[in-house]
Amino acid sequence: MAAVLVHIDLDGDRPNASSMVALAAGRHLASSWGATLYAALITQNTSEKKSADSTAQIVSTAKVPGIEAIEAALARGGADKIVVAMTDGPVAPLWAAVGTAWQGVVDQLRPRLVLFGAESPSAADLGPRTGARIGARLLLRAKALGGADVELRDRDGGYARITDSGAAVALIGSAEAAPAGDDDVDLVVLAMPGGGDQRLELAGMTAAEVSHTGSAVVVIGDDVASDVKIVTDAKRLAALLGAQLVGSAGAARVLAQGAIVDRQTAMAPALCVLIGNAQVDLAGSTSVIRIGAQPNKSVDGALPGPIDKSLADLVKRLERS
Amino acid sequence: MTRRASMHPPPDVAVWLGTAAPVRSIRWLDGALATAAKFGAATAIAAGENNWLDLAADRATRAGLASAGIQTDLKLDYLGWAQIVAAAVRELDATTVLVDEASRPERFPEVAAIAELLDAVQLTHVVALAPDGAVVHASRSVGRELQTVRVRGPAVIGVRIAGPPVEEYPT
Repeated sequence: MAAVLVHIDLDGDRPNASSMVALAAGRHLASSWGATLYAALITQNTSEKKSADSTAQIVSTAKVPGIEAIEAALARGGADKIVVAMTDGPVAPLWAAVGTAWQGVVDQLRPRLVLFGAESPSAADLGPRTGARIGARLLLRAKALGGADVELRDRDGGYARITDSGAAVALIGSAEAAPAGDDDVDLVVLAMPGGGDQRLELAGMTAAEVSHTGSAVVVIGDDVASDVKIVTDAKRLAALLGAQLVGSAGAARVLAQGAIVDRQTAMAPALCVLIGNAQVDLAGSTSVIRIGAQPNKSVDGALPGPIDKSLADLVKRLERS
Repeated sequence: MTRRASMHPPPDVAVWLGTAAPVRSIRWLDGALATAAKFGAATAIAAGENNWLDLAADRATRAGLASAGIQTDLKLDYLGWAQIVAAAVRELDATTVLVDEASRPERFPEVAAIAELLDAVQLTHVVALAPDGAVVHASRSVGRELQTVRVRGPAVIGVRIAGPPVEEYPT
């Protein structure tokens, strides 16, 4: 029977929200395709006994503290089976840290489809490398589309269907909620031999300057910075997107410290929402949405019309989803 | 005891500029080239149509780098381009490959694909880079945090480093 594999990142002791979105998409696909849905996560093996040889070994769930809550969440999220891969080294969203363990899971299950949450920490590093390792097509920001047979489609026209012959890896941007699963789910814990790639050493983490933000930013223009309602909605939008609210010096009084950028500040976030006449120097890789302007070729999307109404509507839609 | 950088010579470097001209701004292309120039000798690689190859070669020359152009009208996916880049890298005998992730959205999966073919360490979203003998110090953007890493050995590094604003190519 074909396998659909979903990588699960953890936020503390809970599955990452974006990973759960990928799981929901996986549930729709697996149900449509008659496949088994596996949810797999990687944890560090802190027990004294490590894997003695070069093969993965099944170990007791007692060696994974806190697994019960994660198991319950993934079961309710629709997983048929859960795989916990334990690696000897510390876990980080880097191929160098967890690639060996993850590859072990992929080798065991030989999935037809591998899913990651597009916003999950591991997606950017593990997703494409997984695709390259198994020779799979790669879909970015894909979503599941219903019909007689559910399929995945991304905005560049890439797709994954039940009739495809090869494997695919997809980063899932959004998904409709899947029917809640029951709590009865198979769980396997595998001790994967070896640790991280010794060629890479993690040296530390610090807070990033706003110009180095990698995820999302919301930029508020000077022309709307004095509008209380727009500023309030802009802050709500930033909170919903996990983004930073930034702007020029003209909007300084509504911004947090360190959030002032000028027109020549170079930024390369994954997503940038521009409100009003806001202007920043964005990388070509950034997805740009402009609120209060007509669509044009310099942006990926636009909400024309009154800024306050368009912004409020967008915030409401995101809060409902 | 103070750790010292290795006495081995710095790695030979190639910088992959992609298959089409940048979207929005050329300063990220310049930033990738300037970063490669920090290593000393480096070669810029580009593939695609003549206009793009001419632009890539021009920017590489301004940065003091050699350039190699692969003229083609092929339309490939990330695996296909990775195979072409890996072949070029082997021909150049480079051990460190920088990839301009920021100029176009389709570039970043190629970092992993090239690393897989070269059996190299991969790093994406790097916003600062400093070679130090055989060690490369890198800062990468992870959400709202900066992660500092040290890399030894063959590596493919996706960079998002901007050069200075360029007036002749307005953003």
